[in-house]
Formats: sequence, C-alpha cells, structure tokens
Amino acid sequence: MDLLLTVELGVVAAGAAILGSMLGLGGGVFLVPIFTLFLGIDPKLAIGASAVVVVVNSVVGSSVHLRSRFTNLRLAMLLQVTTALGAILGALFGVGADPSIVYLVFGLVLVYAAVSMGIPRSNKLVALAADPMRLGGIYHDPATGDEVPYVPVRIAPGLGVSLGAGVLSGMLGVGGGVVMVPAMNLLMRVPVKAAVGTSAFMVGVTSVATAFVFYANGKLAPDIIVPAVVGVFLGGQVGSRLTRRIRAQRLSLLFGVILLYLGLSLVLRALGIELPGQQK
Amino acid sequence: MNVPEPISTDVLHGRHSALEPLYDQVRALFTWGWRVGALVLVVGVVLALARGEPPGASIDPVGEILPTVLSGSAAGLIDLAILWFMILPVLATIVVAVGFARLGDRRYALISLLVLIVLGFSITLALAR
Repeated sequence: MDLLLTVELGVVAAGAAILGSMLGLGGGVFLVPIFTLFLGIDPKLAIGASAVVVVVNSVVGSSVHLRSRFTNLRLAMLLQVTTALGAILGALFGVGADPSIVYLVFGLVLVYAAVSMGIPRSNKLVALAADPMRLGGIYHDPATGDEVPYVPVRIAPGLGVSLGAGVLSGMLGVGGGVVMVPAMNLLMRVPVKAAVGTSAFMVGVTSVATAFVFYANGKLAPDIIVPAVVGVFLGGQVGSRLTRRIRAQRLSLLFGVILLYLGLSLVLRALGIELPGQQK
Repeated sequence: MNVPEPISTDVLHGRHSALEPLYDQVRALFTWGWRVGALVLVVGVVLALARGEPPGASIDPVGEILPTVLSGSAAGLIDLAILWFMILPVLATIVVAVGFARLGDRRYALISLLVLIVLGFSITLALAR
C-alpha cells in the first residue's frame, strides 16, 4: 500500500472519529462507508479494521466511564451473552456474504441511525422497581450533582435486542452502541449516562468476537488497521474536546444529513448504482 | 399474592460499594493494557518507517507472530500490538468473572463465564487458522 493512501486512511479515520464522537456513535459507523465508498477499500477488510478500531476505542473510552462508575458491570455481562453470540453469527455470515448484502444492511442501519437521532433520549427518573436479577445501579451525576439510582426493566426483550445488535455488529464491524444505547435507555429504562457507559464496555467485547472471526478468515489487514487506529484515536480526542465547546445538538441536522447520504449511497451501491466521486 | 418490594437506594449503595475494587481492577487493566499496546505499536511503526518495511497485508497466524517478533520484524511487532488490543476485553471479562466469584456473586460469575465460553469459540476459530 502506498504512503499517500495510508495518510488518506488516517485522515479519513480521524474525520470519522470526530463526527462519531460528537454524535456519541463511535467511529465505526462512518469508517466503513467512507473507506469503501471513497477510498475503494475492500468492504470485508474495512469491516475487519473497523472491528479492531472499535475494540481500541472501547478500551480507552471504558476507562473514563469506569472511573465515573457509569458502567453497570452486571448488566453489561448479562446482555453480553447474547450480543457476543450474535456478533459471532453476524461475523460468520458477513465474512462470506456477497458485498451487496453487506452494503444494503449497512445502508439501512445508517438510515436508521439518522432517523433515530431525532428520537429524544429519556432522562426521566423512573421509580425504583423490585430487582430480582440484582441489576440495579446508582451513580453520581457530576452535571446535576445528583445521585441517580435505577433498576433496569424488560430484561428478556433487552436480551433479544442485544442479540440483534450483536448480529449487526458482527456483520458490519460497528460496535452496536447505535442500537444498544437507545435500547437500554428507552426500552430498559437505564439512564443515558449508565447506558452509554455500559455500552462503551460492551462494544469492546462484542467487537473482539467479530475481530477474531475476521482474523480467522485472513481479513485483518495491518496496513489498513494501523492508520485507522491512529486516526480514530487522534480524531476521538479532537472530537471529545469539540463536543464540550460546540452544542452538538445544533449540528445534529447536518450530521443526520451526512448519515442519510452515506446510508442511501450504500443502498444504491448494493443496487449497482454509484454516485459521482465514489470509487468501486 | 406477594408483590416484590421495590429496592431501596441503601441496598444499591451497598452493592455499588462492594463493586468498587472490581471497577478499579478493570480500569487499571484497560489503562495499562492500552499503554503497553500503544508502545508496542509505536515501536513497530517507527521501525517500519525507518526501514521502509510496510505493515503486512494480513496478520500472521498466532503461531508465527512470536518468531517474527523475535527476528526483529516491524510487521511482527505491529501484528502483536493489534492482537494485544484484541485480547484486552477478553482479559477484562476474566477479571470481572473472578471478581464476581470473589464477591460470592455466583450468578454473575457464571454469566461472565458464559460470555468467556462464547468468546472462546471465536478465539478457537482464530487459533485454528
């Protein structure tokens, strides 16, 4: 691989990470479409690289959430059973699937992500319920100064959604947070910060299950992974600082349009239609 | 019919306090694991740039990585760093499983073990390559 493409991969990965961290979606959601649509990278290699990037991001991000005690380790482990299983099934399917199927599913996920940005997250405190599964948690919210107790509900549907998130994660190399955070928050009534912290821990384990399947099939390419990891790490740092300065909600319409464009581009690519400026 | 009592915040506080050491152990693993991996990756990339040796187009099978590293290959170091990053969440799951077992929380120790078994399937595929 030539040096110019390596630099391009790094810069694009940094840009994807800035967008991803400002939206709280991680870099993977943008990485694979941009690598494949604009840099002509084999989609399977892009997905393998994305899975490794998600692992590295999770390791770095989880440290912060663990320090803040936002992560619910019992909930993470319980949901992880079905998510990891789904990731292996998704990866086994994805690694051998026709690229047009991968493009189509990825495109639809991005369109969903764009639409879901318009769904408000719930910050309402819910009355504590009984907790037979011992999944309840409590954390200190530095933004409000309050202690936030909660008990997750609807565990069985949550496990079902986790399985689906795992399948998508394994097939597409994204972390699955784009599905898990809204599911935990809106379905299981986990407060946003606990959902984000728990998801950040989970996506690392999920993506490891994916990455090993891609490794087994020779689809982990260091010449793509290294610039992607470096770019996403640096971009993530810039993104998290920008997020503090800029009201990301104000930019959500613009980001929603970008997600929609990438999503529809992938759907069109699946149908054999290429837009101007994109590579085969 | 008995209706289960809602849980109190005191119980949640007690449960949270018991988990404090486990949070710190997983965080330490991630923090130091990240530093070690980043160091190996940086050394590998610097060596590769200095020698004009490009990273490989595919990570070597596990059994071939250590001999490649010992022979001083930059690509071997880069492969090792990537695999090291990939093993960290597996190690974290082991730490969590052991932590729950030490706390006497057999249910979540077993659930964590189940996660490890699922991950073990994926790792076995990779080792069999």
